[in-house]
Amino acid sequence: MANPLTLPMIPRALRNLVSKPATRRYPYEIRPRFEGARGTIEFDVETCNYCMLCMRRCPAAAITVSRENSTWAIEHLTCIGCNVCVEVCAKKSLSMSKDSKPVHTRAEVGPQGQRPGHEEWHKPAAVPVE
Amino acid sequence: MKTTVVPFGPQHPVLPEPIVLDLILEDEKVLDAIPTIGYIHRGLEMMVERVEYTEMGFVVERICGICSFMHGMGYCVSLESIMNVEVPERAAWLRLIWAEISRIQSHLLWLGLGADAFGFENLFMHCWRMREQILDIFEKTTGGRIIHSVNRIGGVKRDMSDTELAAILVELQELGEQFKKTANVFGTDPSIAHRLGGVGVLSKEDAIAVDCVGPMARASGLVTDTRLIGANYYDKIELEPVVETAGDCLARVVVRMREIDQSIDIIRQAIDKMPKGEGMPLENKPRGNPLGEVFTRLEQPRGEVLYYVKANGTKNLERFRARTPTFANIPAMIKLVKGCDLADVPNIILTIDPCISCTER
Repeated sequence: MANPLTLPMIPRALRNLVSKPATRRYPYEIRPRFEGARGTIEFDVETCNYCMLCMRRCPAAAITVSRENSTWAIEHLTCIGCNVCVEVCAKKSLSMSKDSKPVHTRAEVGPQGQRPGHEEWHKPAAVPVE
Repeated sequence: MKTTVVPFGPQHPVLPEPIVLDLILEDEKVLDAIPTIGYIHRGLEMMVERVEYTEMGFVVERICGICSFMHGMGYCVSLESIMNVEVPERAAWLRLIWAEISRIQSHLLWLGLGADAFGFENLFMHCWRMREQILDIFEKTTGGRIIHSVNRIGGVKRDMSDTELAAILVELQELGEQFKKTANVFGTDPSIAHRLGGVGVLSKEDAIAVDCVGPMARASGLVTDTRLIGANYYDKIELEPVVETAGDCLARVVVRMREIDQSIDIIRQAIDKMPKGEGMPLENKPRGNPLGEVFTRLEQPRGEVLYYVKANGTKNLERFRARTPTFANIPAMIKLVKGCDLADVPNIILTIDPCISCTER
């Protein structure tokens, strides 16, 4: 055991005085995510043939595909980011981006590429008419 | 003498997880402790009846955030042995490497929590700083920091290139060198020795009597390590179980510290012995639905975990059961708490490395 009377902590204490902090100044300095990190699902409307395989394989049932209306929707709050839909997609329409988006948006992409933002998602539910 | 009942938990500063112990005290001595569990029971085992077996792997991973890789691996190994799927060699080695990395992560996390519990906040920060490097390795290689989702029935989904593996090994060995300084503090600091030494002594006979598993049993001198049965390529690794004989709280800390070095050595051996090259097969897809039942044992960071899977030939399993190491260690914890001082209760509870999420599933 180091003898406490020899003050073994002095070199470390002096080094800590001049060294920079071990942590990052988070809101000002954000570490980019690594290549291959699983963030958010991205969808390419041009190549999708609406085969509905992603919807069937999704463990969390986060994806809704409608062949009649040609729409594809994902509930980002339900998505668990497991990458299964990206693996099964035959047309490579789905991809996993490494950046995570705020999850409070519902991305819905149709043939015209309309994408209602979270304003739509947060709209108060319609009061049923009695 | 009059007895007092002091409730420990479900919310307590030393342990973020909801375990409840009703401590029956006489003065400062604990006479008895009555555990209550069930605060975070989520019914994950019941979910097999409505979730398909291919999707259940993602649910099993979420049993616990610390040993999530080993839970996913255990489930996939169980299903592979039911469906007679041979895992490609490189995939099995990759699983072993990830499992050992997650063991280092778990032990560093626990050492930090332990240091925080006995009032050594600086050590806590050093341990968690090192754990952060491990989480970065996970994010680079699997895509996720906590939930990895790389295990599939029949193999793994991601590969690591040989250069990446070499870089990880260098990083881990540097981390091992750094950790030696921290381990030195744990080993030599007089206040830690005073706080943990001789507290909560579990003899070898008692450890056998209450069926301890994992580092808890090894700290009491019991040579038990599920990796020694040689499943999942552990038979190709030279492995000497870390055993201490003192059986007190300090011995349990020392076992976990030595296991970090051991895990780094296992990863080094695995990287040496695994087949090299790009584009090797990583997955053999299973065919049909599983039929049969199987028990699987794995050595998780906290001890032996046991999975029971019963499949009936449909897409949904009939029964899935996970007996997690904390569940096996709770009787030992109760035994240790009886007769100790009230101030030692948090340390004794923490040194079994409780994971209540695992226990209650």
